[in-house]
Amino acid sequence: MTEFMQSNIEREMAVYGYDSLVKSHCRMCHGGCGVLIYLKDKKIAKIAGDPDCPINHGSLCSKGLASAQMAYHPDRLTFPVKRIGAKGSGRWARISWDEALDTIAERILDYKSRFGAESIVMGYGTGRENEAAIYRFANLLGSPNVLTAGHFCYGPRIATSIITCGTNPIVDYEHHPKCIMVWGNNVVISNPDCYKGEPFSNSVKKGAKLIAVDPRLTRIAARSEIWLPLRPGTDAALALGMLHVIITEKLYDHEFVENHVFGWDAFKERVRQYPLDKVEEITWVPSEKIAAAARLFATTKPAAIQWGVAIEQQITCADNDRLLMALMGLTGNIDVPGGQVLFQPPKVRNVGQFGAHRMLTDVQRDKRLGGDRFRMADNFAIINPKCVWDAILEEKPYPVKMLFFISSNPVITRANAREVYRALEKVEFMAVADFFITPTAELADIVLPAATWLEMDYIGDYWKRHGYILPRRKAIQVGECRSDHEMLNDLGRRVGQEAHWWENFEQALDWILEPMNITWQEFKKMDYLRGDVVSQKYKARGFSTPTRKFELYATVLETWGYDPLPRFREPPESPYSTPELCEEFPYILITGRRQPGFFHTENRQVPWLRELHRDPVVEIHPDAAGKEGIEEGQWVYIESPRGRIRQRAKYFSGMDPRIVSAEHGWWFPEKNIPGRGWDESNINILTDNRYETCDPAMGATSVRTLLCRIYPVSESEVSHG
Amino acid sequence: MDKKTLIIDHFECWGCKACEVACKQENNAPDGIKLIEIVEDGPRMAGEQPFFEYHVRVCRHCEDPPCVAECPVAAITRRSDHMVILDTAECTGCEACIDACPYDAISFDEANGVARKCNMCSSRVNQGLIPACADNICLARCIQFTSTFDST
Repeated sequence: MTEFMQSNIEREMAVYGYDSLVKSHCRMCHGGCGVLIYLKDKKIAKIAGDPDCPINHGSLCSKGLASAQMAYHPDRLTFPVKRIGAKGSGRWARISWDEALDTIAERILDYKSRFGAESIVMGYGTGRENEAAIYRFANLLGSPNVLTAGHFCYGPRIATSIITCGTNPIVDYEHHPKCIMVWGNNVVISNPDCYKGEPFSNSVKKGAKLIAVDPRLTRIAARSEIWLPLRPGTDAALALGMLHVIITEKLYDHEFVENHVFGWDAFKERVRQYPLDKVEEITWVPSEKIAAAARLFATTKPAAIQWGVAIEQQITCADNDRLLMALMGLTGNIDVPGGQVLFQPPKVRNVGQFGAHRMLTDVQRDKRLGGDRFRMADNFAIINPKCVWDAILEEKPYPVKMLFFISSNPVITRANAREVYRALEKVEFMAVADFFITPTAELADIVLPAATWLEMDYIGDYWKRHGYILPRRKAIQVGECRSDHEMLNDLGRRVGQEAHWWENFEQALDWILEPMNITWQEFKKMDYLRGDVVSQKYKARGFSTPTRKFELYATVLETWGYDPLPRFREPPESPYSTPELCEEFPYILITGRRQPGFFHTENRQVPWLRELHRDPVVEIHPDAAGKEGIEEGQWVYIESPRGRIRQRAKYFSGMDPRIVSAEHGWWFPEKNIPGRGWDESNINILTDNRYETCDPAMGATSVRTLLCRIYPVSESEVSHG
Repeated sequence: MDKKTLIIDHFECWGCKACEVACKQENNAPDGIKLIEIVEDGPRMAGEQPFFEYHVRVCRHCEDPPCVAECPVAAITRRSDHMVILDTAECTGCEACIDACPYDAISFDEANGVARKCNMCSSRVNQGLIPACADNICLARCIQFTSTFDST
């Protein structure tokens, strides 16, 4: 029997008469996978995974496969435009790149002279490998305000891992963990951050035992030895309970604790406050299951925790990350093969250096919005979004006059969407760079046509912590679209930053690569570069923390005035924290369940991807649905104290009947009306962003767990909707 | 003639649907027509255990295909290499095959008035390539293409 893994590339070229092949690096999500781009008549004819890429080994997700349909989409913005009607009117006029950049530059210089550079807020959404250039531009301008998802996505892992052990510990799937605890993560669908589903799947095939921590029965949970369906938002209590077992039963790595940990006694004392009976009461998970999971995780070597964003979008954000790191550390799985490795990047100029953070003066840095309130975020140049909306709407502590959002759609993605919308309506000037006129872009004064990953040269995975960088090679040009890096390079030269940018962006890539003694043209010919892989580096040089130890007790948090030990905080809205509200809004609403094909607010207009999932779907347990008179497939209202939206009901018995699970990121590009249905199914109409509901150190908004009621949309409303 | 087979390990499927898009890219089936589709089984209890799986719904290229038997105009044929091919040029759109298929793997293409199903990327296989869904896109490699010497 002949089994085939993949077609022969030469044969593929010959059979279809393709002209050429470009190997590149996808960025339909955060980046990651090696791809083969087949071209015919200078157009993309086919996209496939690159079998030689160490990240994905030839596999490729639905988004990557549909990239060309996105790049060539008829609704794609392919030239700069300026708004000629009222905000949201959808009336635009084509302008040249020069006019667009000159206008933006003029506004920047004007606001800077009249209100200070801090009145200009740069923004991006989730990480799209443009962050280093955006921070560089803002820092050189003197604005400390870069609004990103960093307060509640990945930024917390970076910040907390730096203060705990020096860098983000990444699961080493290359050496196959024997136990993987998947915590609030569906890696096979979401391919998040430094991870792809493929290496995870390989380790599962190699026999890794799974533990799943998830309120929902995912396929991963169904394949797990132990599934812990916790009450949403109680991750910290669950982790503390597991640590309680590991410490009480002395299942921890004694050598690591004796020699490499800081704050052991204080930490033990904190953990002692979370005995299993109490943890069971908080989490709704039976204590024997928690104990069994703790034992399996602690006694199987090597073991790893596949973690992600869900634990960060809660009031307990930084401490969730720190507790999972405590589990990794105490079980001796930090920086060991098949555990969680502190990978070293290739020795290029890193994102921090490119971001020019040292160019920001102390005077300007001290003006960072919310810096006095969210001090850990402040120390990592991250801001909480509400601080920006307040500065626009209330002009406190000072007015924000201009926004420049690059690859960001905050009216859909940020908490309390109606407030976001009001702020964007009010702000004096807004520029946006995107692929399409999104509901956010509709409120802009100028929209710039951004290049997709197929249209740019860049160093892929430059920002990641898995130790690789890979060349992203330009395959096509679409209209006048330009990469975010190129447009910022040119804008920087227009606002007095010419000494710090380059004649063209290729020279910037050369500058990044210079310490390796290679140029972009040379890197382009390589498959990838990888940093040296060395285990247990801490044995020789300690951890890169103030105490040189693995800090269970975070000395810098103490300096900033926070509790140095991790703790559980009850979600701001829950049956326990707001019992009276719970009578009116009796269900726990969890949000953001990932769908194949979509990436936050993206891809609803890409036919092959929308076909995978047509409508926003809210899952409800059949028992609850019966009680609320909800039929399968029916449109239902989901209502929170902030507002209501509608999604389509789907029966799902794989969770507690007290929970409903809704999707995020929805707008309807196909609706040819102002706003494109931005508030119809947008989960952030329901979420809260008051400061007291955010993580006190990181400013993470608590968008994952709230209270709601749910009821059918009436027939007449459906037909008129 | 070598026997051509798609071997699918449903247990390994994670539900990522990359195969659906790989199929679209190759065959460009009209919107709403899925020649391959990932469907959910569960959640439900299987004894004491919570159960939830994905299944890959695609033509099984049966040994004794009921669709071939039912088609009144012989638009569906089973080749000597065991691939079952639906020729849309011959199809009259009577939908008899759709009713006959025990795997729910044939769709009706309203726009063109014909039945559609997976032809195992015959144009690729004829040229020595392997079907798009099996072409190393699946993260779990749960769809494999095999070509076996058929001694019968």
